[in-house]
Amino acid sequence: MSALAQARPLAGFRLHPRPRQTELLLLAIVAATLLVGGMSLGATQQLRAVTRSGGELAAIDFLPPDTQGLLVYLVALFAVHIAFVLAGRRTDQVLLPAVAMLGGLGLLLMQRLPQDLVTQSFAGTEYGLGQLQLGWLLIALTVIAVLAIGVRSDAWLRTYKYTWAAVGIALLLLVFVFGSDVNGARLSLSIGPLSGQPSELLKVILVVFLAGYLSENRALLAEENTRIGPLKLPPLPYLAPMVAMWAIALGIVVVQRDLGAALLFFAVFLALLYVATGRPSYVIGGLILFVAGAFVLYNLFGHVQARVDIWLDPWADPQDAGFQVVQALYAFGRGGILGVGLGAGLPTIGGRLPVPAVHTDYPLAAIGEELGLIGLLAVLGLYLVVVSRGLRIAAAAHDDFRSLLAAGLALVVGVQAFIIAGGNLKLIPLTGITLPFISYGGSSLLANALVVGLLLVLSDHGAEPPAAPRDRRRRFRRSRLGKARA
Amino acid sequence: MSGHPVTIQDRKPRRRRSRDIKANVFRTGIAVACAFTILAVGAGWWQVVEAQRLGVAPDNPAVIAIARRALRGPIEDRNGQWLARSDRDANGEATREYRDDAVSHVVGYSSRRYGTAGLERAYNAELLGLQGVDPLGDLTRKFNAGPDQRLGLRLALDLRLQRAAVRGLGKDKGAVVMLDPATGEILAMASTPVYDASAIADPDTATATFERLQADDDRPLLPRSTLGRYVPGSVFKIVTGIAGLNTGAIDPGTTFEEQPPAEKKGLVVEGFRVRDGHHEVTGDTALDMNAATEVSCNIWYALAGLETGGGRLVDEAAKLGFGASIPFDLPTAISRVTSGDGRAPGGFTDDAELASASFGQGETFVTPLQMALVASTVANDGVLMKPHLVTAFTGEGPGARTINPEAWRRVMSEGDARALQAAMQQAVEGKLGRQFTPGAAVDGVPTAGKSGTAELGGKGEPHSWFIGFAPVENPQVAIAVLVERGGRGGERAAPLAGTLMERYFELYGKP
Repeated sequence: MSALAQARPLAGFRLHPRPRQTELLLLAIVAATLLVGGMSLGATQQLRAVTRSGGELAAIDFLPPDTQGLLVYLVALFAVHIAFVLAGRRTDQVLLPAVAMLGGLGLLLMQRLPQDLVTQSFAGTEYGLGQLQLGWLLIALTVIAVLAIGVRSDAWLRTYKYTWAAVGIALLLLVFVFGSDVNGARLSLSIGPLSGQPSELLKVILVVFLAGYLSENRALLAEENTRIGPLKLPPLPYLAPMVAMWAIALGIVVVQRDLGAALLFFAVFLALLYVATGRPSYVIGGLILFVAGAFVLYNLFGHVQARVDIWLDPWADPQDAGFQVVQALYAFGRGGILGVGLGAGLPTIGGRLPVPAVHTDYPLAAIGEELGLIGLLAVLGLYLVVVSRGLRIAAAAHDDFRSLLAAGLALVVGVQAFIIAGGNLKLIPLTGITLPFISYGGSSLLANALVVGLLLVLSDHGAEPPAAPRDRRRRFRRSRLGKARA
Repeated sequence: MSGHPVTIQDRKPRRRRSRDIKANVFRTGIAVACAFTILAVGAGWWQVVEAQRLGVAPDNPAVIAIARRALRGPIEDRNGQWLARSDRDANGEATREYRDDAVSHVVGYSSRRYGTAGLERAYNAELLGLQGVDPLGDLTRKFNAGPDQRLGLRLALDLRLQRAAVRGLGKDKGAVVMLDPATGEILAMASTPVYDASAIADPDTATATFERLQADDDRPLLPRSTLGRYVPGSVFKIVTGIAGLNTGAIDPGTTFEEQPPAEKKGLVVEGFRVRDGHHEVTGDTALDMNAATEVSCNIWYALAGLETGGGRLVDEAAKLGFGASIPFDLPTAISRVTSGDGRAPGGFTDDAELASASFGQGETFVTPLQMALVASTVANDGVLMKPHLVTAFTGEGPGARTINPEAWRRVMSEGDARALQAAMQQAVEGKLGRQFTPGAAVDGVPTAGKSGTAELGGKGEPHSWFIGFAPVENPQVAIAVLVERGGRGGERAAPLAGTLMERYFELYGKP
């Protein structure tokens, strides 16, 4: 078989049904939970509508607000499960249910918010927030299924890492030149009727590149053969990409004003560097660079300063600059331990939502209010499940590239969830990035579907790691070893 | 691709490297778990620890929604006269009515459009009956929902005194604070100009009224007694006196030999000349504390302040409430002795600033409430009582209770307080003092006090100040009066204070 044939993603697809009981059981729990949630939401909304019009409620039918949409989502989940069973790969069985639960919660939230928050027309029909989110979820599930079933080899990722890096930088430049502004940040890129946030895709590309680069150079990076005063550093040329990363992160802040993405990229970069080299000094050095960069940015740029000042004291201007932060904290406070119930929260102010960006930046505030501290902790727990599965896959992987890729993908989800949740909870300044799998938005859902799909691919122990394509000598040696073991 | 790194990798045993990565992945996982634990703690902080405070915040939309429907508790004065009350309009929505413009800065307003102010804001939760939302009780309340009981407020305020104070200030901008020195109960707390709180509460007139008030250059919405900050002038000498006596820098008999000659040519402190204008009456006599207070001698107090030192002056003033917000039912501005930017002790720029501050003309800014507390502390033999407006939360709710008088701290010894009482009595009743404080003395009641004329530089009249108390033995009422641009202390503030204390004794009987 030639290297090219191995690199073809869909090579050698055959049916080998293999039951996935864990996944089935977990999906059943997820489906039941989401159904109960939907029923509770539907009942609350009926009750509210009736009391608002001053009437008495004769009987509540426990129907979710968009029964059809919820059922379509659940059916799609089980369809993906059946596809996995038929494909017969030994991929991870916990990731899909965990992600499905988060996605389902997001769907319920989007169905519960005012539907005209986001609308889009396709073929003459106008679709509201809940329907759009359902559409994106279905596409995301398809992406997960296609990747997890179809992709056998990771060569297409590891071989072309510099190509991926180039694609990533091209994306950045595209946004810079053609992008449009969202909340004062240059985030969004439009192609025809569709618009997306390339930074979401960029995070996946970044991890692929870093996994490729670090797996190739980790031995060198762990060495200390350059001395600058008391500092022992690896060969300087190998540090260049690291410094470039730092510069790119700063560039994103300065040019695109996208603090969240910059923070995410830099944090994931440092974490992967640590996983690859095991040298805490890199992390410490990176943090020092981060603090220095943050200090300079704070003093130079108004938008950074504004974010930090709001974070330090949102009550200084609770009606304007600090409005959303303060209102989100009120939402958390109203939720208490048990929450006010799905659909019963988010009291409007003059007909408007108290937290305008609740569907993108602040879904956690809605969850905290309606499902309470308990619901919020459950959501945080689900993210930890996703991260821990990803890290398990990383630890069990056969080679460095797969380890680093899996770890990076898992960390992208974990770090992103931390940054936005921390921002919502006023632990760190708020930066506008999405809550993975829950927030509204196609780019976010698709990028995170890529993450999950790739993690599933990497979790398949059946697939042997492919040889480095251009090093025939090594491939030969490994295939001989394989035979000997057999 | 270079083969170089591959060669280096191949030299090490493969298993060891993979174990390395595993360990690193594991440690990274621990770090992520720790980070998420911090998130969980953060969520617990807002949803459990802070939930109570957030849940009753006046601009919380849930509170606003409740305020629309719920009747607020009544507010009444010390004699049971209503000051604010609620009713329902034809649509069943709650309305709020206020009795008298004179109490507008104390009671405040509750408006659907403009939120709340004054006591309506400070006790919004209690008035609405929201005090029961604690997150732990919430666990059971979820299954046992019952409306919380709203509470009313009983104030120490006497509407009759309050009206007299506003009438006395008239068209002038100014403030009056009267309190019982023995209990800290605020009897009157006036600020002019006043505004019509009912018009702000009424949705039909709210916008026009509020916008007019906000645009008014006289700033009628500003509660001057608590949030207005003014140059104190000579009333601040009492603070200097307290600091000097407390630290032992002076005693009642202290005289300064450089004082009489300085009366003519001024006292030079670091190139700055402190002047005074009473040498025709005091001549070459070296004044002691009583005499210096009687004629309001700037030079004696400048010397006393210098003797005390900037650091100690600031520290002693802090005991009276300077330098921090006074704990009170309403928000208070911070009174200060100096801007604190300087390098000299206490934050003074130099001794010249300290000398000026000692008679209230430095970088010193005070609220009328703060100066009333100074008078009250001297009157109460050195013990500063916590000032309070609310004496009881009334009603059936679980939070109903009375607020008892509470000592804040002893500021100075009884002996020192009595010495200052004597000095302040001489300033009101002495042969020379009467010329500085005409009209302050209450007929048949021994009265003590100190006037102040706060020079503001440039043209225009100075602020007119008076602080005092009566009777000197077992004082029943302490007072601070400020009239913006009211002229000399003796012209405007002192007679008004005398009238208001007279009114007090009319109402409550002379001792």
